[in-house]
Amino acid sequence: MGGVLVVHALHSPGRGVLLWAEDGDRSARSSRTSVRTARPHPFAVPSDELAAVHPGRNASATVLLPSYPSGPQDSPGLVRATARARTRSTPSLTPWTVPAVLVDSSELTDPSPDVRYGAGFLHLAELRRFAEELAARGRVLPVLTTQAGRPTARWRPVVQGLDAVARADLVRRLPPVARSEQRRPGDVSGADPGELVDAALLRFTDAAVRERLGRSPTMPVPPPARPDTTASLLHALSGPDPRIPAGDGVGPLRSALAEWDGVGREEPGAGTALFRLAEVSTLHDPADPGPDLEDQTGDGTRWELQFALQSTEDPSLQFDAGDVWDGMAEDLVAGAQDVLLAELGRAAEALPGLVPALRRARPEYLELDIDGAHRFLTRDAGALLAAGFGVALPRGWDGTRALGLRLSSSATPAPGAVTRGGLGRDELAQFRWTLAVGDDELGEEEISALVAAKAPLVRLRGRWVAVDADALAKGLDFLRRSAGRAPTVHDVLAAARGDVDAPLPVTGVQARGRLGELLAGTVDRELEPLPDPPGFTATLRPYQERGLAWLAFLSSLGLGACLADDMGLGKTVQLLALEAHDRGGADPAAAPTLIVCPMSMVGTWQREAERFAPALRVHAHHGASRPRGDALHSRLGEADLVVTTYATATRDAEDLRQWRFHRLVLDEAQMIKNSAAAASRTMRSFDAAHRIALTGTPMENRLAELWSVMDFLNPGILGVPEVFRQKFSVPIERHGDAGSARTLRRITRPYLLRRVKTDPEVIDDLPAKIEMVADHRLTREQASLYRTVVDDMMEKIEGSDGIERRGNVLAAMSKLKQICNHPAQLLHDGSPIHRAGGRHRSGKVERLEEILEGVLAAGDKALLFTQYTEFAGMLRPHLSARFDTEVLYLHGGTPKKRRDEMVARFQAPDGPSVFVLSLKAGGTGLTLTAANHVIHLDRWWNPAVEDQATDRAFRIGQKRSVQVRKFVCPGTVEERIDTLIASKRSLSDMVVTDGEDWLTSLSTAELREVFALGSDAVADPENDDTGDEGDGDE
Amino acid sequence: MSDRPFWAHEDFTGGRPIRVEGGGIKIHSTKGAVARQWWSSRFLAVLEQQGIGGRLSRGKNYARSGQIVSLDFDAGAAVALVQGTRPAPYRVRIGMRVWDKQEWARIEQALAADAWYAAALLAGTVPPEIEELLGGLGLSLFPAGGSDLSLDCSCPDRTVPCKHLAAVFYLIAEQFDSDPFVLLELRGREKDTLLTRVREERDRAAGASGSGPAALGDLIDTFWETPEAGPPTPRPPDTEPDAVLDQVPEPSMRGLTDALRPIYRALADPEQ
Repeated sequence: MGGVLVVHALHSPGRGVLLWAEDGDRSARSSRTSVRTARPHPFAVPSDELAAVHPGRNASATVLLPSYPSGPQDSPGLVRATARARTRSTPSLTPWTVPAVLVDSSELTDPSPDVRYGAGFLHLAELRRFAEELAARGRVLPVLTTQAGRPTARWRPVVQGLDAVARADLVRRLPPVARSEQRRPGDVSGADPGELVDAALLRFTDAAVRERLGRSPTMPVPPPARPDTTASLLHALSGPDPRIPAGDGVGPLRSALAEWDGVGREEPGAGTALFRLAEVSTLHDPADPGPDLEDQTGDGTRWELQFALQSTEDPSLQFDAGDVWDGMAEDLVAGAQDVLLAELGRAAEALPGLVPALRRARPEYLELDIDGAHRFLTRDAGALLAAGFGVALPRGWDGTRALGLRLSSSATPAPGAVTRGGLGRDELAQFRWTLAVGDDELGEEEISALVAAKAPLVRLRGRWVAVDADALAKGLDFLRRSAGRAPTVHDVLAAARGDVDAPLPVTGVQARGRLGELLAGTVDRELEPLPDPPGFTATLRPYQERGLAWLAFLSSLGLGACLADDMGLGKTVQLLALEAHDRGGADPAAAPTLIVCPMSMVGTWQREAERFAPALRVHAHHGASRPRGDALHSRLGEADLVVTTYATATRDAEDLRQWRFHRLVLDEAQMIKNSAAAASRTMRSFDAAHRIALTGTPMENRLAELWSVMDFLNPGILGVPEVFRQKFSVPIERHGDAGSARTLRRITRPYLLRRVKTDPEVIDDLPAKIEMVADHRLTREQASLYRTVVDDMMEKIEGSDGIERRGNVLAAMSKLKQICNHPAQLLHDGSPIHRAGGRHRSGKVERLEEILEGVLAAGDKALLFTQYTEFAGMLRPHLSARFDTEVLYLHGGTPKKRRDEMVARFQAPDGPSVFVLSLKAGGTGLTLTAANHVIHLDRWWNPAVEDQATDRAFRIGQKRSVQVRKFVCPGTVEERIDTLIASKRSLSDMVVTDGEDWLTSLSTAELREVFALGSDAVADPENDDTGDEGDGDE
Repeated sequence: MSDRPFWAHEDFTGGRPIRVEGGGIKIHSTKGAVARQWWSSRFLAVLEQQGIGGRLSRGKNYARSGQIVSLDFDAGAAVALVQGTRPAPYRVRIGMRVWDKQEWARIEQALAADAWYAAALLAGTVPPEIEELLGGLGLSLFPAGGSDLSLDCSCPDRTVPCKHLAAVFYLIAEQFDSDPFVLLELRGREKDTLLTRVREERDRAAGASGSGPAALGDLIDTFWETPEAGPPTPRPPDTEPDAVLDQVPEPSMRGLTDALRPIYRALADPEQ
């Protein structure tokens, strides 16, 4: 065999897929000359030879082929070793018999590389794939037919919607050779393409379904054990044998399935016209040097309004008018041509300009000039839509892309333009307004092109934009007026929130450099760290350095700043560093900074200032003896930091308003969440060059609080409350509107810096264990008890010696510690933890509640250590009730089994969050890494013991940083002993070895000093001793 | 014609017509002009040119009060029964000259060549240019006068048109308002036939074979080739594998659809 076979395929209804082939090695000449009856095809391949390539049953077929008197035409794929004699005669259709092979349809999808295939084969293969796709998508239904007298279950395709379009295309593309089988002698018209395709599709669909099911492990459905028609049907549909045993049930089954015969054979539906504005090529020959007269767009294109018909039931079915006139839509839209005509006629009533395009036999489109295209986009399209027609606009057209203004910096500022921490004049000088479309700023050339453009439709960077000449003129005028006037930082920030008086909408603010970073909320990461503030003793963590630089940067711009770092990340330290920076460098003689905080934080501020910025003069302005009037003024004149409470500041507002402070700092700024409350109004009324809010609560989700704090920091920034409510609160809180939330974030982010403990960059910066002191004050009850015990015990100590004195010292120590915990612990009277009316009897418990509130709100877990089982026993039910949560309690008497169980429950993710442990029982051996907070309620002054307890949480398995708090009440033994140990190096060694025993070696005078109650131990007597809620309108 | 003296006629005595039982066909216009569209007005103008004075308004009142019992369009004529003063309704016929085959063929050709006419007619309007088109073919859409129009009524009124004819004129004119094809029907072509002919003419002019696929013998030049592919068909939306079972009507054999569902699921994902 020398030549390559050309294999042809056709579907023979009733028989199946027939293959026959030409062989170029065989003579082209027919030995017979009859024209009427079919003669054997001279160069067709014998069945056996073809079956070697595509196995099947031998068959034969009569095919009508273009032929010459000498013999049939070669198909185009046939290559002959010796060329055929040329013929001048025109071919005519003649029947030939060809040996054929009847093959399984799967042969169509398994072509051989050794032969060529004719168009009929490829088309049938495509039909087969279409059938497979229908089967895979389940677009099939069972039918019950009768074959050879037996009921037979078959699958038929369900061809609807887009599948019908695909089928119509397959019918249209059926090559004539596929229709060539002559079914009856003398018939030369060829098989009907639609019928042929449908018959093949029916056969292929059944085969494709069975083939797919054959791959399924759950198929076929087993044959029924007892006669059951439905089960027999399922078996016949899912297995290789389609036959169903005849029986009583077949009749009803047949009629039941017949009810589905109409599915997929519905009458064509209704249609509507679709008008498509399209840019089409002018088809101007590029080789032609002459001008392209039709070019409307400058890109060798022109505008057309194309007509199409759209199925009402399935709008994805669309037919170009040309196809409708070709009759291709008739199967899907009833009377498609007349429907299109009627629609066009109706559209012409809405749009008389269409009439000229209709004055031809087969209207397909309306030619538009560029004004027409613009008119269509801006007006006519709407009219057609309103009249119920479909309209499709060109890609890239977006009616929202209108001309706008954009504020941007034209270039990256030169290095040095940025002053340290601040913004240079130069950077702002870079700013200018530009015209923009969407996000695209227009260059000079584009603007002149716009001005020069006569057409209202201009292509900018590949997209079409409608240009309103009036808006353009106004925009240019605005540009001229604003030229040469560098905007201020406030201008830029206001423009960024769209708060600007301009003739066109502001589409965006594009700022580079520091300002861009500020707008993007990333400036803290880019600022260079400040030099260590003079006289500042603490070493800032890298994230704290960034916080300091950020605060200094906003301060230099006069922008109010909200530092909203997580609890425990050191907001106080950052603020103190900022103050040290200001006063040690730029402005040593600055006015004092007013720090307003809750009562419980006053001591912390004082202590931390003393510790980290000892050069700063601190005036704690609270208590009954605080100076007023002139005394206050002279006191303030000598202070750097004035620390006061919300309540005191509100009360002394008159005096404080006389001052212009260097800075006004609100600690725990959520205190002013109610913007109408007296404290909030008072804070806003104070005069300060700069304002800072410190808060640990994420404000993004508490919009009223966010408004209040932001409005305090930068008055007016979020508008008046009513508008804010309407624009943000309602859409975000009620409707969860992400767009509004994004806008709000964009507006606030320049003024807000929030780092959370889980931020990777914070974690990297963090020590794994953060130790801090938890401050608290004694209540008056505690204080009076304390004084009584000190007097009583000092008397006893003075009157005893030796072992007795030692015992008295330790007893005194113990009693005072118990008082600091809770009065009831000393009294052993089982009295309630609160006074009547819910007032606290213990400042420590109150502070503990505050801390736990934050811990639980963050979803964290805490370990609470105490030496006193009695205190633990009091706390557990109280905390459990207070926080409505289970509180675990482990003490020396807890059996091992119970202990293990508690540990396991605490470690479980959804287990209890608070675990109270006695220091002795819980200090060793347990792993409680689920906790990332450790609170030492009372002190043992033995770091080893305390660390051991802390290590229950801070050990292998802990993935977060651990915050360790030790309770210290200023002015009591708790603080005194802390200080004593820190100041006397020798003591610390004793502590390590002896616990509290070293106390007994102190002299009575020394003991008196240690035990004496300091004035700072008691809560501001003028305020109620539940702490300082600040609102003042209770 | 009656043998009674002229003054005995109801037209002169002003006798009231008998009401049509159950109400006859009424025109919708309750006062003023009947025809709203220019082509209907033109049709009525033919009537009004006849100068029949008071019969016009009486005819209009007949049409408004529902004296017309029935109206049928026949090839080239409108035939109506109008209830007058006598018990038996009068038979009214308005006939127009029917255009012959050749004339219609020319019209169909013209309509196929310029889609605007058919588009407008299908949208319910008659483009004024159609008069020009027909004029070019030597035809007139509206009856040119008495010779183009035959009017008959079985009433005793000797004057033509009588009020019964006038009533039917008004009714026809109102039908023209909403369906201009009625106008063409009076010239001998039903709407469906006309549209089919125009469609065939359009196909023929475009060189298409018209109905049915091309005979194989006409395709010898492209016998071995596959016609060029059209634009790709968009992918049908993804649906549940057994979505078709939710689409079929509930079969008379209960439980059949649910019994088939596992097969459809296996079909969608046979490897599972």
